[in-house]
Amino acid sequence: MWNWEYAFKILPEILTALKITVSATFVAFAVALVVGLMLTLARRSNFKPLSLFAGGFVGFVRSTPLLVQLYFIFYVLPEYGLSLTPFVAGVIGLGLHYSTYLAEVYRGGIESIPPGQWEAAKALNFSTLNTWKKIILPQSIPPVIPVMGNYLITMFKETPILSAITLVEIMQTAKMLGSHSFRYLEAFTIVGVLFLVLSYSSSLMVRRLEVRLNLR
Amino acid sequence: MSVPLKLIYNEDPTKNIDCEVRKNIVRPIVTYNNISKSYGDLQVLKNIDLEIAPGEKVALIGPSGSGKTTLARLLMTLEEPTSGTIEVEGEMLWHQRVNDKLIKANEKHLHQVRGNIGMVFQHFNLFPHMTILRNVMEAPRNVLGLSKEEAKERAVKMLEQVGLSSKIDAYPAQLSGGQKQRVAIARALVMRPKVMLFDEPTSALDPELVGEVLEVIKAIASEGEMAMLLITHEMDFAKDVADRILFFDQGRIIEQGPPKKIFNNPESERLQTFLSRFNRH
Repeated sequence: MWNWEYAFKILPEILTALKITVSATFVAFAVALVVGLMLTLARRSNFKPLSLFAGGFVGFVRSTPLLVQLYFIFYVLPEYGLSLTPFVAGVIGLGLHYSTYLAEVYRGGIESIPPGQWEAAKALNFSTLNTWKKIILPQSIPPVIPVMGNYLITMFKETPILSAITLVEIMQTAKMLGSHSFRYLEAFTIVGVLFLVLSYSSSLMVRRLEVRLNLR
Repeated sequence: MSVPLKLIYNEDPTKNIDCEVRKNIVRPIVTYNNISKSYGDLQVLKNIDLEIAPGEKVALIGPSGSGKTTLARLLMTLEEPTSGTIEVEGEMLWHQRVNDKLIKANEKHLHQVRGNIGMVFQHFNLFPHMTILRNVMEAPRNVLGLSKEEAKERAVKMLEQVGLSSKIDAYPAQLSGGQKQRVAIARALVMRPKVMLFDEPTSALDPELVGEVLEVIKAIASEGEMAMLLITHEMDFAKDVADRILFFDQGRIIEQGPPKKIFNNPESERLQTFLSRFNRH
């Protein structure tokens, strides 16, 4: 049955692994934010090959499982001379996968901008770059920040999949602790509770943010 | 309400000369050559020829959907003509000449010619995420490349001229419609365009706010060497401000002339009908 002594003994090791999980989440999220924006802008480009490539990329990534993509990056790319550490491969895989979803989030924000804003920017002779930088993005991103926050939480809960490419994150650590001592209950319970606490408190924060943004 | 106004534009030396005479001595600032515009099967402009002299105030009147707004939007490069050419100060707007052949203008060319033109929209189109001051100084800073101090100074001066210097730190949502439109006018004027387009600047306003905006526009008109194209349903205002009135109907200029002639002796039946509808109100 549940053994408190054992639970406290393994807690430090799990918390150390949690750091890996959390940093993988944030780095992957940053990748997704940047690549997602680039995909959105590329899809809107007048240069046909670029918008077709972006559209194709989004379709391809979304229609294949994340696990397959991770295996491909971690196990197949080295055969072509690109060896990545589990962490780097993991954040690239997770980041690229979610960039296709964040691209959709950006698109929604951008399309909600009334045409009059584009017209005013043109009438004032803003360059394309400045129109995006000063007029369009500052208005399209704040309303979609809560949706982005929800994707951050989803990505956090998705990180155990990175154990499949040998990243020693929280789930992998729990598994290893279990197989050492043949006690799985404590390790997996702690992992579950940590996920619950962090995800739930983050979702509360996102909700508060949403209310604040709506008030503006 | 009275609006303190003292505009930057110098008195135009040719101002007192009759507008027909001026046209012959000055090269037009804007020329529409045989311009047509269609959306699918719907032809909204039909072979328009029009010249506007520097400093000339031209009012466009006519029923809704007659093509007035489209005429302005073509000049602001918000829409592309289906056929014909537009010149600004003798320079093609939508086309450029490469090796003696007329080709579609690229963005660089459009950017260069567009700088001569400013526009005030029916729905203001202020930038809601910026303060009033930033709304007005952002373009001088980023488009004209002025320093922050210069851009701010110019913007503040402009906002004083439209009577809104007390609102520079407010956001557009905190202003009345009339105030918003005055900010929009300052935002366009601060770029010192040679031609200003006003697309029904008071149509979206509550009746009691129309006056303050018209007053600002009148004051600008009385000052400058800036040409103006005014699309309006305010007939008294058009009469006061314009050197020339164009009556539009179904994509054509039906009749044009000085305000006196247009309002007192309309020739065409359509203009007579149009004006009688207004007098009844």
